[in-house]
Amino acid sequence: MTAVHHPPAPPAPQAPPRRRSDRRFVQALPYLLPAVVLYLGFLVYPMLDAVRLSFFEWTGFRNDEPVFVGLDNYVRTFTNDPVFYRALTNSVIWVVLSLLIPMLMGLLLALALNRRMVGRNLFRSVFYIPAVFASITVAAMWRWIYNPNVGSLNQLLEAVGLASLQQEWLGDPQIALYSVFVASVWQGVGFSLVLFLAGLQQVPAELVDAARVDGANRWQVFKAVTVPALRPTTAVVTILTIINSLKVYDLIVGMTGGGPAQSTQVLALWSYQQSITNHDFGQGGAVATVLLAVSLCLVVPYLVRTLKAEEH
Amino acid sequence: MLAAVAAAGMIGTLAACGGSAGGGGDDELTVWMLTLEGAQKEAMDTLVSDFEAANEGVTVTIEERSTDAHKDALRQVAGTDAGPDIYWYWEGPGLGGELVEAGLSKDLTAEYEQYGWADRFGEATLSNITRYGGYHGVPFTQQAEAIYYNKELFAQAGITAEPTTYEEFEAAAAKLAAAGTTPITFGGTVNWHVMRLLDSLIETNCGSDTFDQLVTAETSWDTPCVDESFTQLKTWGDEYFNDGFQGVADAEAQQLFYTGDAAMAYEGTWFDSLVVDNGMDPANIGVFKFPTGTERLYGFGEGFYINAASEKPEEAAEFLDFITSTEEQNKVVGAFSPISVNTEVPTATGHPLHELWPPLYDAASGFYLNNDQNLTLDQTTEYWRVMNSVLTGGLAPGDAGAEFQAFIDSNA
Repeated sequence: MTAVHHPPAPPAPQAPPRRRSDRRFVQALPYLLPAVVLYLGFLVYPMLDAVRLSFFEWTGFRNDEPVFVGLDNYVRTFTNDPVFYRALTNSVIWVVLSLLIPMLMGLLLALALNRRMVGRNLFRSVFYIPAVFASITVAAMWRWIYNPNVGSLNQLLEAVGLASLQQEWLGDPQIALYSVFVASVWQGVGFSLVLFLAGLQQVPAELVDAARVDGANRWQVFKAVTVPALRPTTAVVTILTIINSLKVYDLIVGMTGGGPAQSTQVLALWSYQQSITNHDFGQGGAVATVLLAVSLCLVVPYLVRTLKAEEH
Repeated sequence: MLAAVAAAGMIGTLAACGGSAGGGGDDELTVWMLTLEGAQKEAMDTLVSDFEAANEGVTVTIEERSTDAHKDALRQVAGTDAGPDIYWYWEGPGLGGELVEAGLSKDLTAEYEQYGWADRFGEATLSNITRYGGYHGVPFTQQAEAIYYNKELFAQAGITAEPTTYEEFEAAAAKLAAAGTTPITFGGTVNWHVMRLLDSLIETNCGSDTFDQLVTAETSWDTPCVDESFTQLKTWGDEYFNDGFQGVADAEAQQLFYTGDAAMAYEGTWFDSLVVDNGMDPANIGVFKFPTGTERLYGFGEGFYINAASEKPEEAAEFLDFITSTEEQNKVVGAFSPISVNTEVPTATGHPLHELWPPLYDAASGFYLNNDQNLTLDQTTEYWRVMNSVLTGGLAPGDAGAEFQAFIDSNA
């Protein structure tokens, strides 16, 4: 008898995954709509409008009609603006320093405060508290610390016999930007610390234990287990640091206003001052567009590379 | 669907947050002005409470801001309905004129006729009100600026008489520095404070006619008298200013004068009240005109403007008529300026410093304005950058005039 082999029954017809996800997207749309409307109205539209304004000459007053000037504002920005390149350079310096110092400090502090120790929560709070202060409050506080006459920093230096190191911390164009940056580190390191601490909670304990059983020392565990496990956190911290650095504004306004002699000027503040103080919204829009382009150039490639690495 | 309706409702609600300028109820007037303290605060409170008592049911809300915040706030609301009913502002073309041009100020020609204001104020006081065509603003103060000095510190340094020439003025500063005293105090973070010295140096070296031509772009800044002014400014910054002036604001710098740590301050008539409020003995303070060699006094007018978008212009005009009336000005003269803008009000007495001003006013043939009131906004920003670049060594004084002129030319 010959065994009869029936061909396997064809699988029941199913909607292709793509179509199913499309349908779910359509179903989700009404729920997304409020957020999308707000996002378009309060983020996308102002951003596009700033770009549009960069092609016009406009004082921002209601009785003044914007005049289309093509690329004139960009030409002026790149060839005739005595402050633009100083602001661009300072913004780049701020990003680089922010990626180097507060991020690294945040990681080191997170590693230190992730261990079992007496007063661990107290230390975590102490390091994080400055991050919840309003920047303008931090600026006022540090302005007093740096005050050349009654500031605690110069007085401290004098008290410990280091009077020769006293400086005009906010009055010397050579060091004013770095003086403001110190205040920024003081305020911002807690933010990186919290993110890295959260990331460290995700490091699988069994992997750490396995590495130790295999004879790995602390450095090897850190390098081979902790760092790879922290990669998603590092990506988030890096992107947020870049974005926050490029839009730094309030701390500089509060401490120096961009001076002395525009030596602490940055792109975000210069865009604001061109628009609101000088009432040149076209020029301000051009600077804002350059800032947007710089932000995208820095963030997007890093984001794409990180996401690809995650997928692999 | 519900979510979409909710979102639309939210946007509608936000849109409804707009409205007419001034806001508040039908019988509430909002006034924006600088932050007041001491005698000036008391004087303004008196004017407001008297007006409210005379106009039952009407309330006047004063919103105060610091100098730069006040400028920013008004520039932001110009052209919108978000402004106050009345705003206080400087009258010069670079500040008050800018807002007139922006349409923020109501032309008060009808009100001047109705209340007879043209007879209430002097010709010089009205010059900045009528310069934009029609009548914009109601004068409140005519401020003058001069050098306040500490008599005791001058005596200790061996200075026996007030300087009457620029050379004597600089020699006095040198004597004070040699005696270990900070000659003059400035706060560099606000720019316009140090600018007072630069403006006066330009008036000194260039003369009145050239000064006026410079600020109206009728002559080039690339000229020896401007270079000389920047050179002198650099000398003052290096040798005679308070240490670290670039890192402090005007209020912090003034403290050095109050405490006797600096011998001079370049301030205006409003400073009379401040020095006394801050504990100084008025008998120990003198005031002299910056020795420019010209007959003009440094200063500017300040006034109250009615917002063109206000829905209560009649009430606003009534308020301004009330606070500039002879009766009310007699009560507050001296708090804001020793000389009232109301010509029927006698010069303030009872404050020893107020008595120092009338001779300076009488001897002057007119005023030269602070340059942040003369120049356009972008020019002012650049003027300050060039000034600070010279002071911090980033720009040679001899190149400053050319640098500023290049900016004017490229943005013409």
